[in-house]
Amino acid sequence: MGYPQKVLQIADDIKTMRIRGAGRIARSAAEAMKHAAVEYNGNPYLGEFKEYMVNVAKLLISTRPTAVSLPNAVIYVLRSLKGRGSFEDARKAVISYAEEFIKNSEEAVKKISEMGAKRIKEGSIVLTHCHSTAAVEVIAKAYREGRVLKVYNTETRPFLQGRITFAHLRKYGVPVVQIPDSAVRYIMDEVDYVVVGADTVTSNGAVVNKIGTSQVALAARESRVRVYVAAESYKFSPLTLIGELVKIEFRDPEEVVPHEWLERHPGVRVLNPVFDVTPPEYIDAIITEYGVLPPQAAILILVDKLGWTLDSIKYSDNILGNLEKIIE
Amino acid sequence: MEISFRRYTGSELVFELIDQLVGVAKSNDPELFPRKLIEKYEKIMYERPASMAALNILRYIANYYLEHGFNGLIECCLKLRSEYDSMLWKSADVASRRVNSGERILTNSNSLAIRRLLKLIRDHGKDVEVYVTESKPGKEGLLLAEYAESLGFKVYLMVDSAVRFFMKNVDKVFVGAEAIASNGAVVSKIGTSLISLIAHEARKRVFTVAPSLKFSYETIYGELMKVPEGGVELILEPGRDEELPEGFTARIPLYDVTPSEYIDAIATEHGLIAPQAIPLLLRSIYGAYPPVIPSLHELFTKLREKHGLR
Repeated sequence: MGYPQKVLQIADDIKTMRIRGAGRIARSAAEAMKHAAVEYNGNPYLGEFKEYMVNVAKLLISTRPTAVSLPNAVIYVLRSLKGRGSFEDARKAVISYAEEFIKNSEEAVKKISEMGAKRIKEGSIVLTHCHSTAAVEVIAKAYREGRVLKVYNTETRPFLQGRITFAHLRKYGVPVVQIPDSAVRYIMDEVDYVVVGADTVTSNGAVVNKIGTSQVALAARESRVRVYVAAESYKFSPLTLIGELVKIEFRDPEEVVPHEWLERHPGVRVLNPVFDVTPPEYIDAIITEYGVLPPQAAILILVDKLGWTLDSIKYSDNILGNLEKIIE
Repeated sequence: MEISFRRYTGSELVFELIDQLVGVAKSNDPELFPRKLIEKYEKIMYERPASMAALNILRYIANYYLEHGFNGLIECCLKLRSEYDSMLWKSADVASRRVNSGERILTNSNSLAIRRLLKLIRDHGKDVEVYVTESKPGKEGLLLAEYAESLGFKVYLMVDSAVRFFMKNVDKVFVGAEAIASNGAVVSKIGTSLISLIAHEARKRVFTVAPSLKFSYETIYGELMKVPEGGVELILEPGRDEELPEGFTARIPLYDVTPSEYIDAIATEHGLIAPQAIPLLLRSIYGAYPPVIPSLHELFTKLREKHGLR
């Protein structure tokens, strides 16, 4: 049995980065789980439906093997199947958990924007890197409250997500000026706060985010500029709790230089890591929907608020292999 | 239309400038030469105010012309050219001795000093791995990667944001310079100060390769170095930026200033020195500190007055 077209489309969009940003990836994955349930056209047997949903979950999780919000979102929805007595019951549960996840995620961003904005003093200049919905919402909220005068945003090579951030902030009327990534230390003199998003938060409070974030944070620290990370709780990684290192994805060199250039220069290896790791000591606070916390307290969120994700690692460190067990 | 000076590296600009001035000097035209000299000065002050080697060359030539006219002027220019060429080689040679075979070095942009350093490392029979940032705006890093590849080194190219990610793999950092200030701060391609900060954090040594002619005498008397910024067009990506966000604005600094505490040493033609010891180096070259050297402003005011130009 195949998968609904829309599910395959979302999976492909995540893989090719048409859908990007940890928050959007998570919401889209929940959306795909919902669609898979709505458009399920196999036999109305609970066992078959469960197997189908596990396969959809595997398909989605494998699109970006190193993402964290993605498996968290999928597992949030998938575990709705646990203990269901009938096919209809199970299908309804998947749909309602998916909707709940999306709603919670949107509300989380709203709460984060409110708390984050309060951390910014009136008349400030803010620097952001890459494109993060949560970070943009914090800045936009702070702007509406008269706290932000101007934003510098990095263009964020190789994918130029900075252009998206620019348009996103302009939509809210925020004055933005873009700078090349190399100009971060040059401009830091003028900056009062750095606000960035996160791809993954580890159990010791390190933040995995778009390549360049850690050097932005370093330059901020040198200039005594506060660094805030806006991150919904589902970006916290349960695997790191059992010591797993966050794997950093290396993407296609052609994102950096054209194909012809690579062909002409077989002796040059183009290295294109997507993320880097900012150590907790360079971060002043992580702003989650549960409150503003020091990065070192990340463990609290993982254990107290994200207990359900720990299911995914209860059996082994292989999330994909544990999916069947989660819903037994 | 004359080509913008912006496309040259600091050292290439020196050679280009001298060649152009020699061309004009051949005319022996006492109207034309000072006018061209002033034109070049203004153009550099406008386009490349931090390119100290070129400005110092202008200082020498203007001074010589004011004192001797055309008498020996061409010889003076050609001598400066060959002296600069040899001090650049010497500086690169000093730096190359700091590199051991098997080391991994990181650099940015495409300065002639760094190209010569790589050439000499190769000539000395050492093998290194070279990490290069693409160095936006301009992406001159691609040219340097290409050159390092042609010398047979193993080359890694990355975006400017990936410096901290790879710093742990690197043994030493080598960068070029546009200017050196009296407090030992170094003006280089934008991004250099960030690279140096990252190297400092990771306890990796940073070397600047710069002949003493890059010293900014004006900074002795408190003048701040001017760091120019360019237009939005400098960062646009063909094929990707067809539709820019509405109202797109950007600041594109071309150089930045690395404080002396992030630089372990400057490799000059006189040897390897701490950036803070720059005054000592100048004293040994000129016999006194501050060196007795006419200021650019004075010289060019005199030149304008003498020739009734503005």
